[in-house]
Amino acid sequence: MWRRRAFLEAAGAGFLASLMPGRAEALAQSELLLASAVQQSAGRFGAVVLTETGRLVHAVDLPVRGHDVTWSAAAGRAAVFARQPGLFAVVFDPTGRVAPVTIASAEGRHFFGHGAFSADGRLLYATENDFENTRGVIGIFDVAGGYRRIGEFDTYGVGPHEVLLLPDGHTFAVANGGIETHPDYGRTELNLTTMDPSLSFVDARDGHLVGQLRLPPELHQLSIRHMVVDARHRIWFGCQYRGEAGVNPQLIGYATLDGEIGLIELPRDALRGLRNYVGGLAISNDRRTVAASSPIGGALLTFDADSRQVGALVDFRVTCGAAPDETGFIATNGLGHMAGVAGSDVPAQDFPFQFDEHLRVL
Amino acid sequence: MRLLLAAFALAALAAPAAAQTAPAAPLAPAQSAIPHHDLIVGAIETYIRPGFRRFAAEAEALAGGVVALCAAPSPTALAEARARFRAAVLAFSRVEFIRVGPLTTADRLERLLFWPDRKGIGLRQVQQALANRDETAADPATLGGKSVAMQGLAAVEYLLFGTGAEALATGDAYRCRYAEASVTLIAGLARTISAEWDDPAGPSDHMLVPLPEYDDFRTELEVIEKLAATLIHGTEMIRDQRLTPILAGKAPRPRAALFWRSDMTVPALAANFAGLYDYFLAARFPDAVAGSNEWVANSAIFEFQNAARATAVITAPLAEALADPRQLRALNYLVLITGSFDTIVGQDLAAALGLAVGFSALDRD
Repeated sequence: MWRRRAFLEAAGAGFLASLMPGRAEALAQSELLLASAVQQSAGRFGAVVLTETGRLVHAVDLPVRGHDVTWSAAAGRAAVFARQPGLFAVVFDPTGRVAPVTIASAEGRHFFGHGAFSADGRLLYATENDFENTRGVIGIFDVAGGYRRIGEFDTYGVGPHEVLLLPDGHTFAVANGGIETHPDYGRTELNLTTMDPSLSFVDARDGHLVGQLRLPPELHQLSIRHMVVDARHRIWFGCQYRGEAGVNPQLIGYATLDGEIGLIELPRDALRGLRNYVGGLAISNDRRTVAASSPIGGALLTFDADSRQVGALVDFRVTCGAAPDETGFIATNGLGHMAGVAGSDVPAQDFPFQFDEHLRVL
Repeated sequence: MRLLLAAFALAALAAPAAAQTAPAAPLAPAQSAIPHHDLIVGAIETYIRPGFRRFAAEAEALAGGVVALCAAPSPTALAEARARFRAAVLAFSRVEFIRVGPLTTADRLERLLFWPDRKGIGLRQVQQALANRDETAADPATLGGKSVAMQGLAAVEYLLFGTGAEALATGDAYRCRYAEASVTLIAGLARTISAEWDDPAGPSDHMLVPLPEYDDFRTELEVIEKLAATLIHGTEMIRDQRLTPILAGKAPRPRAALFWRSDMTVPALAANFAGLYDYFLAARFPDAVAGSNEWVANSAIFEFQNAARATAVITAPLAEALADPRQLRALNYLVLITGSFDTIVGQDLAAALGLAVGFSALDRD
């Protein structure tokens, strides 16, 4: 986790001095740096880097709506990906001293909103749609080469959403949501009756399929979307249900590289708040507590990854962004609010912009 | 531990994190000018229930028309069946965006209309059934268990208007029986959906009297948010499923249009917009924003009227309309209008009524 001190070290000695006084003071007094895509006003989009005390460190404009932000301490860069069907990603220096670089999607591909840097910061990966062939791919971009796209790997599924590079540094976990889309049809989901979600493990060195896990066939309309990794290297995933109204399946489960996959049983009152939709997951600093959020249900819940016991149930309208701090989680929402929840003492704050789905700690 | 964070004090930060930006027009405090319950009652009683009753009646008439055609094939009987198909399409187009309640269960929407069908699955399966004289497609009891792409309005359109359909006028027994099986299923579904909406103990009960323990609607505000989301999803559906597929390519693609064979592409589009307009009025959104936020409703009404004017410009057949720059412009203008609704409903109406439908709450991401 890239805390203030590490951030300043990576930024170099002159960074703090180069900031405007207000921003330098904000950074000096804060502990966390957070990043999120935002809507600044109707039709104006960007990404921001903030302290947990609500002070702006840096902001970049985006031509259309962004989705997730990923970053690399090794590269000293963050990347924000356009929301699907996205045609660009913007790589930016969170210190704001280097001009952002825009990556256009390749011919016949569009971004799905998520990506990851390699452990050494030399490569950037992004989930993409090979839409004419209804195939998910991971686009590979050379950081030192001006983010030139140098190849792609299959995700072995349709509609990949989030990709994580696992702690071994060479295995991707890919949430293949299973939903077919095509830019000629906007965001329309084209195969809800036949969707086939899966969680793929793909070797980042050569792209071969290490393993692929599916939930039971009767849950084929449970789209696997977002993931976090816990202290025992289990990959927790959150789902969104695309099946018929009135059915309320469990939404959160975990998988392992050993081939285990399953959903956990959350109590009905906890599940109800999610409204069949997990918009994002976060994991605590000790990697033992998972947070799941739902902007549709206006709810965030936490549970212990080992005992499965629910810790906090938080009503927070349109919340989706969640990121850990030392004592709990920081949550953001689509109405421009931020608050510490589930043990965090970060104060409730309002912003003149709306937070998009994901909040990341730099 | 349950924390309630919905009501934040508007505690100003010492220094705002980003430059303040003003909305397009000033918004009065977010609150409906009429009780939420009145909006819900208006939507259900004034629009949804009558709309599905009308669709059920037109679907029944369509079934009757096809039965008559099969019993006594003639050019007149075929013309009558086709006319009833067009009427059923119009009635369906006025309610298909009601993606709450009975239409959303048991694949009913897909059974009524399998669309979009980017890979032409429905066409291929219907043609295959015709080529093989597949008896299981000609019996509603077995057709209902087959692919949903084979049994809805798109399939019936091909059977009544597609290649070889003229033979129905002189007698193509198998094709007619397949069409009869399809329209029987459609009429049955329409009847069931309408009955469920009309049932006071049906799905409308949770909308009219939401309770915290319900899985679907806990509060009236959640119902209002669903009703507003219906508007946004409706215009998004028009754009992404009806207009963009025609217009997204290097050249317009008339055959990517829904209902092009029956010349119903644009009438169906017009019925979509008109239905959304009537729904907007029936649900009393203009009354809800009456007063200083009246401009929000006026903006929506302005765009609905623009949509009606634009669709009136476009004439059938669609291929010829797309070759006419003026009519092509009208179709592209409709795309712009749908974008305008994203702002009017997703931003302005949501802000005026304090709804969480404007930004990330509608995502499926």
